[in-house]
Amino acid sequence: MRETAVSVIRRIVNLFSLSKLSEEIDAEIKSHIEMRVADNIANGMTPQEARRNALLRFGNPTLTKERVAAIDAGLTLESVGRDVHYAIRRLLRSPAFAVACVLSLALGIGVNAIVFSVVNALVLRPLPVEDAHRLVFLETDSGFTQSFPNYRDVRDRNTTLAGLAAYRIVPIELESSSGASRIWGLLATGNYFDVLGIRPAMGRFFNTAEDVHPRANPYAVLSDSAWRSRFGGDPGIVGKTIRLNRMAYTVLGVAPKSFHGTELWYWPDVWVPMTMEPQIENYPDNGWLDNRSTWDTWVIGRLRPGISRQQALANLNTIAAELAHEHPQNNEGLQFRLAKPGLAGDYFGGPAKAFSLGVLGLAVLVLLAACTNLASLLSARAADRQREIAIRLSIGASRARVVRQVLTETLVLSLAGGAAGYMLALTLSQALSRLKAPMDFPVQFDVNPDWRVFLFALIVSVLAGALFGSAPAWRASKTEATALLKGAPGGWVLSRLAFRDVLVVLQVALCFVLVAASLVSLRGLQRSLKMPLGFEPRGVSIVSVDLGLAGYSGEKGRNFQQRVLEEIEQLPGVRSAAYSNSVPLSIDQSTTSVFPENPTESRPSEAISANYYEVSPGYFDVMGTSLLAGRDFTPHDDASSPRVAIVNTAFAQRVMRTDDPVGKRFRNGLDGPLVEVVGVVEDGKYEGLTQSHAPALFWPILQQYNGTTTIEVKSPLPAAQITDDVKQAVARLDAELPLYGSGSLDQMLGYAFFPTYAATVALGAFGVLAIMLAITGVHGLVSYAVAGRVREIGIRIAVGARPPQIVSLVLGRTAALLAIGSAIGLVLALAAGKVLASVVYQSSASDPQVLASVFAAIALLGVFSTWAPTRRALRIDPMVALRYE
Amino acid sequence: MGRNDLQGSLDLLVLKTLAQTRELHGYGIVLHIQTVSDELLRVEEGSLYPALHRMEQSGWICSEWKTTETNRRAKYYRLTNAGRKHLLEAEQNFEQLVKGIRAVLRYA
Repeated sequence: MRETAVSVIRRIVNLFSLSKLSEEIDAEIKSHIEMRVADNIANGMTPQEARRNALLRFGNPTLTKERVAAIDAGLTLESVGRDVHYAIRRLLRSPAFAVACVLSLALGIGVNAIVFSVVNALVLRPLPVEDAHRLVFLETDSGFTQSFPNYRDVRDRNTTLAGLAAYRIVPIELESSSGASRIWGLLATGNYFDVLGIRPAMGRFFNTAEDVHPRANPYAVLSDSAWRSRFGGDPGIVGKTIRLNRMAYTVLGVAPKSFHGTELWYWPDVWVPMTMEPQIENYPDNGWLDNRSTWDTWVIGRLRPGISRQQALANLNTIAAELAHEHPQNNEGLQFRLAKPGLAGDYFGGPAKAFSLGVLGLAVLVLLAACTNLASLLSARAADRQREIAIRLSIGASRARVVRQVLTETLVLSLAGGAAGYMLALTLSQALSRLKAPMDFPVQFDVNPDWRVFLFALIVSVLAGALFGSAPAWRASKTEATALLKGAPGGWVLSRLAFRDVLVVLQVALCFVLVAASLVSLRGLQRSLKMPLGFEPRGVSIVSVDLGLAGYSGEKGRNFQQRVLEEIEQLPGVRSAAYSNSVPLSIDQSTTSVFPENPTESRPSEAISANYYEVSPGYFDVMGTSLLAGRDFTPHDDASSPRVAIVNTAFAQRVMRTDDPVGKRFRNGLDGPLVEVVGVVEDGKYEGLTQSHAPALFWPILQQYNGTTTIEVKSPLPAAQITDDVKQAVARLDAELPLYGSGSLDQMLGYAFFPTYAATVALGAFGVLAIMLAITGVHGLVSYAVAGRVREIGIRIAVGARPPQIVSLVLGRTAALLAIGSAIGLVLALAAGKVLASVVYQSSASDPQVLASVFAAIALLGVFSTWAPTRRALRIDPMVALRYE
Repeated sequence: MGRNDLQGSLDLLVLKTLAQTRELHGYGIVLHIQTVSDELLRVEEGSLYPALHRMEQSGWICSEWKTTETNRRAKYYRLTNAGRKHLLEAEQNFEQLVKGIRAVLRYA
């Protein structure tokens, strides 16, 4: 049967333009009946009789028409089905080939689908709220938070937003029958749920009227997961009372299951009205609700219909100018920016986007390498099929028909590969979504694939099949039937080899880039692990407890901390112990603005932001931070003695502009008190590994009380054991206290190292995949070349060629290809340095050690992949070879 | 063989008719088969037009709107090269089939 691809297309077009077809059939049937009528009249019937007879003889014209149209649908499905069936049958006949292709593609597409589902979760998928694209996150030039009074002013003065809501992440102590536990919640303004357009799954939400007077609105809204896990899914929860921070709150409702707040990474358990902030954060009076110098509020708004972001931004910046004018102390130079909500605006959003897109870019390279493999396998197969195709051409199959058949086979392969890859991605990303970061903080991402990921995998599969299958298909159709059947080598053998050479060069180049990327990230990780942190985490364990949440304050809290420390120092196996409000590189970091003692200009812009910690005497000893000059705090540095601080080298140099600050003073806050420096410690990392030479200062916790207490213990005992002992010691003093964040300091640092680890694992996997793909690719090429030259090699051996000559015959070309591929890869890797820098910290693509290793890897790859075929070539028996065929 | 035999014989009749007449419209094909077979075979219009359409889609015949001798517009069908080749095969198959059936009948 002769069919052309064109006719299939025509039929598909017909299916969609049935009306045009039916018009034509109508005309044809009409002309048929008219001719019959004319003949009937010529045979002597009356016109009426003639027409009646003609219609009767024709039968039902509508039915006929339908049957004609049905032919199209039937033929299309039948021929496509036949092609697919044939393709599957042929593939089953060469399972090794099919498995190699499907596996290559499954890996390539799987890797891409996983990375894409992360990109989808972070960048593409809108928040699960109404009209999410109209939501904007309000940030400033210098940060992503606002002061609450500024928020109120912007909310009331703007004319471009339908609503502006504020929220803040807070830890909360929840009491239940099984004791106290620390949960995470959101303080949210009364209009929060309205602005987002969320409807409760149960009960109701608090509203603007219920968020007016500070401390007067003890209402709570539970998240679906908190309602299920902490209250057993109690259907009568609405109206019940729960105890938060030792105070009774009424549960108003439960949020829908899909809603986790507006930060993709933070899934709160509970929402509480913003006016409860002083109670929740344990502040005296109104907390920071009326304080313009505390920038603790996160702000999200919804654009009015018809208002563009530019218009809104212009409006907001007019207000910013007013605010700067009215409160120059706090708002000097205030400039707003609008960001996409979800990742603390652009603060995490920017780097997260760059990171995930960078990884996606590298993943696409893996896919390219996989597709190159596919094209190479297909082209080898096309060569093997030459004879079959020649036969088909000679018995009358059109070239288009052959192309269609070969393409169908490729598409069957690529769809199978895509399906396998998608299943792989599905499994892995479900595991990723369940993954909770190893810390006491509800960091979780929903990276489960949705329809976008499915569509992505489908499109990638079809494109891979169509693009990389069409070249071999086209070549197949060029087969010179007569020449081949006569036994002569195909006319395109040379050009085909050249085509496969190009593929191998491409593959080696891609492999080079990917291996370079994975080695660069490995080096980056290695370097960050060796990086001085400013403390020595080995052997140190921590346990945290929040006395503020538990209602301790001032004197009572300070005494409690002292007693806990004394208890712990008595524990067996404890070398030394100390406590502080927090430790560097944990999630809880605070900064303050400091000034030189005699600032040249008393302006807010002179301020230097420094991380600060409140620490007990002995803290530096436990943490292994070297004291470079001066003294440690003593128990006498308390509320009754003059204010003192210990600073790091960066602080001394940048704030105090001296290398010897001991005995000198700085100012804490523009109008704040002068503080004397009593000691200097080494620099370290505080907020993240990327920081360098960041100023930090340490307050004596006895002088400046803080209820958030992290206990540091240095002990040779295993972390689990020592933290258990510490917890028991704390429980002996107050059994009700919620403990959190316990473990070794090393474990806790997992958080800081997480992005680096993630990048290294991802890029390492890419590198391994690329090497596997390149080995199979090169192996295939060399094997094929040897198989095609058996006779020639046999003759050479027969006339006395020695093994080295045979080896160079077989490998000369391959070595050249590897060299060319590596050279191209080197150029690409150097050019891709920017992309790498967005993915890996401390990366340098031009690191000579890395490049040398990559060359070594490629050389090894060459040896591995050519070993077997070369041995085969050396073992060729001239007699057998010459009798071949 | 099998389910396509009856359809196959209609195809054969139509292709042969077109081979003998160079080009013809649907009505003409009906008349031609009727006349040549001495009124023994009568082609159903309800089967003819789907068959014509299918054969056209398969590339065996092609069509063109033309004016008849009596100045009417009609769709004329013509054999293609592929159609001629197929006709040859179909005729041979048919001969085989008839031979086979005849052999069976004689034996009985």
